[in-house]
Amino acid sequence: MATATPGFVRETAEPSIGWRLYRLLRAIPTWTLWGLVVVWSIPTLGLLVNSFRDRDAQRTSGWWTGFADVGSFTLQNYRDVLGSGPTGGLWDALLNSFAIAIPATVIPIAFAAFAAYAFAWIDFRGREWLFIGTVSLLAIPLQVALIPLLQLYSGGARWTLPFVDKTVALFPDLDLAGSVTAVWLTHTGFALPFAIFLLHNYIAGLPRDVFESALIDGADHFKIFWRLVVPLSVPVLAAFAIFQFLWTWNDYLVALTMIGGNREALPATVAIASLAGEFALRENLLTAGAFVQTVVPIAVFFALQRYFVRGILAGSVKG
Amino acid sequence: MLDWVWAVLLTGGGVALTLYGVRNRMDPTRTVRRLVAASVGIGTSVALGWGALVDEKLRGTAAGVTVAVVVSGVLFVGANLWFDQAESRWRRFGAITGAVVGLAVGTVLVGNRVLAWKPTPDLDLTPWLIVVATVAGAVFGYVFTGVEGRRARLVTAVAFGVTYGALVGVFIRPDVFPAMKIVPLLAWPAAGAAIFGGLSARRRHHVARRAVLGATSGWLVGAWLIPVLGAGTRAEAMSGATFLVLGFMVWLALAPPAGPERQRIVAERSRAVIFLAPALVFVGATLVIPTIRTLYLSFLGPRGEEFVGLANYVDIFTDDEIVKLDKWRGIFTSSLLYWGVGLTLAGIVIGRVLGKRTGRTFEPSGGSITPISLGVFLFVWAVFAYLRGTIFNNLWWVFTVTIVSTAAGLAIAVLADRARYESVAKSIIFMPMAISFVGAGIIWRFMYIARPPSKDQTGVLNALWVGLGRLSNSGTPKLWAAALLVALVAALGWMAWRGWRGGAGGVVAGAVVTALGVVWILYRLLGPGLGGFEIGPNGEVIADTILFIQETPFNNVWLMVVLIWIETGFTMVIFSAAIKAVPAELIEASKVDGATEAQTFWRVTVPQIAPTIGVVVTTLIVLVMKVFDIVKVMTNGNFDTQVLANEMWQRAFTEFNFGLGSALAVLLFVSVLPIMYLNIRRMQKEAA
Repeated sequence: MATATPGFVRETAEPSIGWRLYRLLRAIPTWTLWGLVVVWSIPTLGLLVNSFRDRDAQRTSGWWTGFADVGSFTLQNYRDVLGSGPTGGLWDALLNSFAIAIPATVIPIAFAAFAAYAFAWIDFRGREWLFIGTVSLLAIPLQVALIPLLQLYSGGARWTLPFVDKTVALFPDLDLAGSVTAVWLTHTGFALPFAIFLLHNYIAGLPRDVFESALIDGADHFKIFWRLVVPLSVPVLAAFAIFQFLWTWNDYLVALTMIGGNREALPATVAIASLAGEFALRENLLTAGAFVQTVVPIAVFFALQRYFVRGILAGSVKG
Repeated sequence: MLDWVWAVLLTGGGVALTLYGVRNRMDPTRTVRRLVAASVGIGTSVALGWGALVDEKLRGTAAGVTVAVVVSGVLFVGANLWFDQAESRWRRFGAITGAVVGLAVGTVLVGNRVLAWKPTPDLDLTPWLIVVATVAGAVFGYVFTGVEGRRARLVTAVAFGVTYGALVGVFIRPDVFPAMKIVPLLAWPAAGAAIFGGLSARRRHHVARRAVLGATSGWLVGAWLIPVLGAGTRAEAMSGATFLVLGFMVWLALAPPAGPERQRIVAERSRAVIFLAPALVFVGATLVIPTIRTLYLSFLGPRGEEFVGLANYVDIFTDDEIVKLDKWRGIFTSSLLYWGVGLTLAGIVIGRVLGKRTGRTFEPSGGSITPISLGVFLFVWAVFAYLRGTIFNNLWWVFTVTIVSTAAGLAIAVLADRARYESVAKSIIFMPMAISFVGAGIIWRFMYIARPPSKDQTGVLNALWVGLGRLSNSGTPKLWAAALLVALVAALGWMAWRGWRGGAGGVVAGAVVTALGVVWILYRLLGPGLGGFEIGPNGEVIADTILFIQETPFNNVWLMVVLIWIETGFTMVIFSAAIKAVPAELIEASKVDGATEAQTFWRVTVPQIAPTIGVVVTTLIVLVMKVFDIVKVMTNGNFDTQVLANEMWQRAFTEFNFGLGSALAVLLFVSVLPIMYLNIRRMQKEAA
């Protein structure tokens, strides 16, 4: 370790009181670090503690006083918010979140893996330009596509041919607006440029001789893809899967836009945000609701931290 | 019944997947880990299966997810199997291709309400026409790929063309019968044949075939696009359809017959298309076309009806909610400005004094850069606190969150490097990254909450603030606090003295600046009072809370804190990885040369991780530029906290002004474009 440098020999040679005080002050960085750790965890801790306290307790005293009266902790907030009563509905919202996040994770991974493989290992004309074009789409912010997409989902797409004034239906009006399908379709499209870029980097880096020997053995692209590329790419697929799952689980903008007022299809983020809109009314439930929404990504975080970090690092460039 | 099917499916599927995963992927040396993973997986599957029995919503969710995933998988595998036939079973391939084309044509025609099939007025069999078209396509494909010889192919094509064309004509709805006119009917096919044939004549290649295609395309225009639809007769419709189909099939028949070489090429070339098509179709439909359309909509009025030119863009920059300049004079009376200028001057002075020894005034480790940066930072804040409105607010967000998150992340990464329990500390600071912006907004609302002054404060920050107020109006506790602060000042002074003797300018400056801060707190505590309180008419202490979310303009900063809280974990993890990647020899060498830790950091580590800092900063700028959720949930843009993304959302989806909303979206796009361009360039360089 670098700490065993000659400059630190004095530490043992001069054990006076002054030196000890100096060392205490030298430890300020460590204190600062742990102070920051405490500061960083206070908001979440406060939410967690408050979620176990009833409405009156939450309104009249700070959560830190709750530790003095642990016996009064209750699960009532969770029961109310998850139950089927007038204050509940978060259970359904959680299922909606899964109904959005699972297809919006699995389908982009599959499609992006196909495309990344094609860009990396199938020869065709215009490959380079098509790839650059696809990756450049990373620059488009979500907001830019929202209005036309909502129009597409709620009324289909029609195109009036110029000069002859005939209208052709390009996409049928499937009445998707307000459904979870609209949300995961949108996420799938938005995820693809980044996913293709990420997976392409990895798949293009696989050793060439693996492919050549497989081709000599008579394997076609389909076989090579399933038998070789997918098993070899598990780390990058996992990293992207975690990133994309959290992205879609935590998404608010797309869900809010595409689902609008349909209470049946709200995912958890939109559900707790609308609970927050009635802040004073049910703020005691808000703590439990926010915690329930948060517990899934936190569980993913602690269970798969290594992949999670890799996914976040890789995903940091997403537009 | 259905509930049982889903219960068995979910339980069985989950258990099978778990066992497969545990057997294959997990570390085989860790039995405990495998057991835990297996029990979690099996437990989840059983819970899911049981849930499917009792909860209808869960069944629906499972069904939707399964259908979505299975359909996309089946389509892909199906497409591969389809083109697998091309090389070995050409006729089967022909039949499948014919079926697919028939399906597509049938769907388009039925979907556009061109065809109808009503044997009796009550019986509508129109959707079945798609099936008919599919079968017809399959029959044609199978027969046609079996025919050898040019003449035989041509005869087959003509026979099928006339039959199918007439068949289509029979089912055409009366309201699309074209009222044909002779001139376009002749002119367009002639022009098409001339253009297509002429183009390929230059290359002396498939001239006749191209001419047929051109004539057919011309027929499509002349017979269907030019005439008024619904005014013609069935005879016109039938001839219109027949010649169209006939032309297309003759075009097919004129193609060179498919030998083994061509079959191999079809199988080969199709692969790229199959592998790319799903992704490109999605990207095109959800990104490319909508972006172009948004650009187009931004030049139209609120409902997309009339062309308004640049009016929407002019509106953005003249709207007095989006650009508010009326308070700009406040900048010059702002205390932030004085602090900023003061700190900058102090930094320069410190630099001059300490720099006499090193000969460098602006030495990062010499204690001058920190106050100067802080001074400039406050100066910029002073500007943003008085230039209000959506656009300046957004820039304030970008400026503050980017700088603070980067600096804090770097600081924490350095502090945590080789500290004890480093990974624990980093995990906790990184954890907010997993929390949604909505969840974070709610979490911080509870931090910021302000209760009426007569009640106990339940938000941490107001409790501290009011608690400080009470402390500075108390007896003995106040003295204890003062004593503690005095001891702290003494310790800091002693540290500065050690630093001075050791020649560590950064330590001196840091200690002196901190000590000055502590002295100021001490003065407030003993003098005018510290924290939030008021003295009532009877001399009693009344709590004076801060309304963090409502008090403008600094409520913006309190919202930014939420994003900083989230993003610092991200920057820390990236910097931590970068710092650990700095070669140890470089650090050793600078230590051997007698550099202090601060000098090593600024002169060796920072230049080494400069590219990473660039990545982090550009990433953050783009992310913060688009900030939406936090503002939407915490204030919805009220209290002078509006940002571009929320402005766009409100204009588009609550006021339904699609023109202005689109223009704001385009503005957002344009403002992240330069940074994204840099980012993508860099990513491609790294990938290459």
